[in-house]
Amino acid sequence: MQQPLAQLVATAQQEALAVTSRAELEAFKARVVGPNGSLTAVMKGMATLSKEERPVVGKLINEAKRSVEELLAALLLKVEDAEIAAALGTPWDATLTGPDAPAGSLHPLTRTRERILASFRKLGFTVAEGPEIETEWHCFDALNTPADHPARDMQDTLYMPKAFRSADAPRKGEEALVLRTHTSSVQVRTMLSRRPPFRIVAPGRCFRRDAVDATHSANFHQVEGLWIDRNVTLADLRGVLDFFVKETFGPDAEIRLRPSFFPFTEPSFEMDLRSPNLGRLSNRWLEIMGCGLVDPKVLELCGLDSNEFSGLAFGLGLERIAMLVHGIDDIRHFYNNDLRFLRQFA
Amino acid sequence: MKVSFQALSRHVDLSGVTTDRLAEVLPMLGLEVESVHTFGLAPLPLVVVGEIVSFEKHPSADRLSVCRVDVGDGNPRQIVCGAKNFKAGDRVPVALPGTVMPSGTEIKVSKLRDVDSAGMLCSSEELGLGKGEDGLLILTPQQPVLGTPLNKLFGAPDTVLEISVTPNRGDCLGLRGVARDVAAALNLPLKPLTVKTAAGLAAAPTAHDAFGFVRSSSEFCPYYTLRTLKNVKVGPSPDWLRRDLEAAGLRPINNVVDITNWVLLELGQPLHAFDAAKVSGGIEARPAREGEELVLLDGKKVKLETGICVIADAQRPLVVAGVMGGNESGVTNTTTTILLEAAWFKPGEIRRVARRLGVSTDSSHRFARDVDPAGVELASRLATDLLIELAGAEVVGPAVVVGQPPRADANIALPAGYVAAKLGTAIADADVTQSFQRLGFTVSPTSTGFSVLVPSFRSDVTRPIDLVEEFIRIYGTDKVPAGRPIAPLPGDEDTRSSGFTREVAIRLAGAGFTECCHYTLRDAAEVARTLGEAATPQLALENPLTADQSHVRASLVPGLTAALALNVSVHADPRGLFEVGVVFRPQADGTVREFLAVAFAAPAESLVRSWKSREAFDVLRAKRLLSDVATLAGVTAARLSFGVATGGLWQTDHASSLVDRGRSADGACGVLDLRWTRSLGLKGSIVAGEFLLPRSTFADALRIPRFEAFSSFPPATRDVAVIVPTTTAAGEVLNRVQQAAAKAAGKEFALESVNCFDVFSGPGLPEGTRSVAFEIRWRHAARTLTDEEANRAMATVIAALEKGAGWTIRS
Repeated sequence: MQQPLAQLVATAQQEALAVTSRAELEAFKARVVGPNGSLTAVMKGMATLSKEERPVVGKLINEAKRSVEELLAALLLKVEDAEIAAALGTPWDATLTGPDAPAGSLHPLTRTRERILASFRKLGFTVAEGPEIETEWHCFDALNTPADHPARDMQDTLYMPKAFRSADAPRKGEEALVLRTHTSSVQVRTMLSRRPPFRIVAPGRCFRRDAVDATHSANFHQVEGLWIDRNVTLADLRGVLDFFVKETFGPDAEIRLRPSFFPFTEPSFEMDLRSPNLGRLSNRWLEIMGCGLVDPKVLELCGLDSNEFSGLAFGLGLERIAMLVHGIDDIRHFYNNDLRFLRQFA
Repeated sequence: MKVSFQALSRHVDLSGVTTDRLAEVLPMLGLEVESVHTFGLAPLPLVVVGEIVSFEKHPSADRLSVCRVDVGDGNPRQIVCGAKNFKAGDRVPVALPGTVMPSGTEIKVSKLRDVDSAGMLCSSEELGLGKGEDGLLILTPQQPVLGTPLNKLFGAPDTVLEISVTPNRGDCLGLRGVARDVAAALNLPLKPLTVKTAAGLAAAPTAHDAFGFVRSSSEFCPYYTLRTLKNVKVGPSPDWLRRDLEAAGLRPINNVVDITNWVLLELGQPLHAFDAAKVSGGIEARPAREGEELVLLDGKKVKLETGICVIADAQRPLVVAGVMGGNESGVTNTTTTILLEAAWFKPGEIRRVARRLGVSTDSSHRFARDVDPAGVELASRLATDLLIELAGAEVVGPAVVVGQPPRADANIALPAGYVAAKLGTAIADADVTQSFQRLGFTVSPTSTGFSVLVPSFRSDVTRPIDLVEEFIRIYGTDKVPAGRPIAPLPGDEDTRSSGFTREVAIRLAGAGFTECCHYTLRDAAEVARTLGEAATPQLALENPLTADQSHVRASLVPGLTAALALNVSVHADPRGLFEVGVVFRPQADGTVREFLAVAFAAPAESLVRSWKSREAFDVLRAKRLLSDVATLAGVTAARLSFGVATGGLWQTDHASSLVDRGRSADGACGVLDLRWTRSLGLKGSIVAGEFLLPRSTFADALRIPRFEAFSSFPPATRDVAVIVPTTTAAGEVLNRVQQAAAKAAGKEFALESVNCFDVFSGPGLPEGTRSVAFEIRWRHAARTLTDEEANRAMATVIAALEKGAGWTIRS
């Protein structure tokens, strides 16, 4: 009995080599273990054996059966692999350049803005916004810059015609509407609408009547900050700015407050920055932003009691910061939208 | 303001102070140093006097001469020179080899066109002495000894610091004011100013022999003084005076004008000198009368605005007060008697008039910044001293003084501890009072703190908070420590629009678009393309700087389209671009509203060649993207309705407008006008989208989603195909199917969705129709729907749809 069984298994193994498809597998399976299969026939022959022979032969048959089952399982894997390969087609070449567009990118001014806002958020400043076309009162008068004040000469302003009416900044009487020269107007709107304490940062687009060159732009972006509370001090201003500068320019950056003048702050300062990590601008004082304590007159103009409240304010130019951080030498790059520039910030 | 170190030293002893130190001190006082440059001859030890013994033409260069130059060492050297203005025997500056010129060039022994040259003969400009006559600086008339270092011939060089003076510091538009700050910062005494001419009488006569009346009838001139000087000899000023003016950037004219300018630079008080012979009857500061005209010093004839302050004689205006003189009454070479004006004019009015006339003079600049009333007389007396000394003038009669100084010294009550409280750090009272005293303020203690008397030259210091700034300028900002750590305020949130601005940019960048940033100011043609000609003037500026920046933008799409064209032209392989920013749109009520706009644009077919072709960026993907943008802004898809976009930026029949029902948000998407994009050099079609959000969109509180239970039973699904005329919008059919299906569900169960899965026109359908097929899904909350229920509902839907004009159900 042993001899025919071994023969049977060997034959099956030989025949299995030719099986390549599921149909062939099914046919092969029928030939061996189907109702009329070779192995089935042997198993049927068990009935004719004597009691003594049965255990011996039974063991041999079980061994043969196991061999055949293993063979069938292996064949199934082989056939499935072939089917999957056929379904998937040509193997993938991972080194071939993908035909799809790469992810886009944020504009460097957006990246810089978000980075700045994130650092002020850590100090509890939240973002406020306001209209780009503003009333003269919000842009100048409320900021202690009346019409005959020489501070109005500090910047040339773009005006809207007398007939222009804004849905977002209704004007009172004969006052003019202007393209805002700074986002300080948002500070005014905040003071008028909220009760202290509050800490806000106002990012946004501003306008000056400037000819465009490497450092001037008809519009530019600012981030202005305002903190109103009881007893806000110069030490607080220093603390906030020191934190911001170290967040943006690294722990080695240092600041200095240089006395200056703005109509809306008293005392007023230019904040200078010095950092060892700014390329060819390293290790020298660079003017970064204007700041100071909110002038009591501004608080009063915006309906706050200057005996009760005090505040600090600061304003910086996004373009200036982005230029320093990324080593950009011409402000016009931000507005030219040449992808060879934009893609560098992906 | 140009501050000469030597001139400044007249007011404060700077002997122990370097210019570098001064350039460090000034900015920390609030006087920003814009530039520092040498005035006069910089130390150049190797530049010496030489004599051109002889010269001949260069053998191979017509323009060059080969000179033999003796520098006194008995060893004449050969130097090639390009100048023409010399003759043999002339003495000229010679830069010997090793000299580093002010330009930074080092002079070496070299060959010029094959001829040896051992040095350089110098021009005035090359020596850093400013532009002189063409060619070499000829020293012959001075007969200097050969070999003398040039520095011995010229005085020690001066350093001029150009400082920018903020509008509040009118006092620093005179050297005396700058000196006062420097003295305070360095804790040095301010040198006294000595003036010989006596002060005018407080109750001075308003007229005397020399001429008739002196008076003011203008509210803008509350204080006016006039001195008369005769036998004035007009001529050139002495060297020291010319030098001071030149160091400050002024051109010397004659001694009288130069003296008034010098005093202006010294004290910041503008003066004006009239030729008495050209003044008839008297002098009056009065409002300009209607129709009056004046030819200004610069030759420009101006119509005088009625009411502005002019200085006039009995007949006509002579001067626009405080701004600019007339060209008829000024001092000339033949003037012998002068009237010297010193006055105080109202700052705001001077500023207004100067701007109106489009001029800014040294006078108007200072008057607009509030000159010191106490300095008016002083300046007049100082100028009189100099006119006597330098122009042989004789004083005629007493000075005439009209009116009163409009301001006096200011007394400020400074509460104890106020300065420390504003600084947020402990400060000793002694530090505070000492700082003020150094600035020339008088401090006296009171029961509640201090009384600080601020002299009238500091018109900007009127309140306790102003004193805080004065203190910190002298004390130093670096001594103020960084403040307390701070915690966020609970409940404070960013405005929703700012969050949206950030998120939408990240979303679009993630979808493969690159963010752009364009100018807000555009030309009229672009706005007209977006809104039509009629609406364009509504977005025009009053005072644009240039014609291509005359309007505020109405859309971001033109900018993006131009950016695509630019990037095609520079071979930068543009794909999708986007921008987020404010645009302006005229509204039905005549106002203009600001919208936060989000726009994107991309070539329909990729401009980048690829080994494998990809799906085109079509209008449907644009629509999808736009809906996503709307959702992100809190505008749900259900609120959006799409219509037909007509003209403007968009290609007819291939673009759609978009309305936020019941709100004012809107937008559009689709193919951009092909003629336009082709004219920009873009070959294929450009697909774009723009969504405009008014600020009110973000005013609503953010809705917090509430959980709703959902059915755990399977839905019943039925398909229906409706044959409709091709002119019927699919959206309309969808609406009808939705309504019918919802109605068919009744109250028993619910319509879950209607999904369009097929649109077909062609064989088998009547001409001019198409079939639109929908899958309707109903579901019951508490059980499985039966076939009968679903069939009954379906029959109701079909019956309803068949009522549509020209609609049939495809079976």
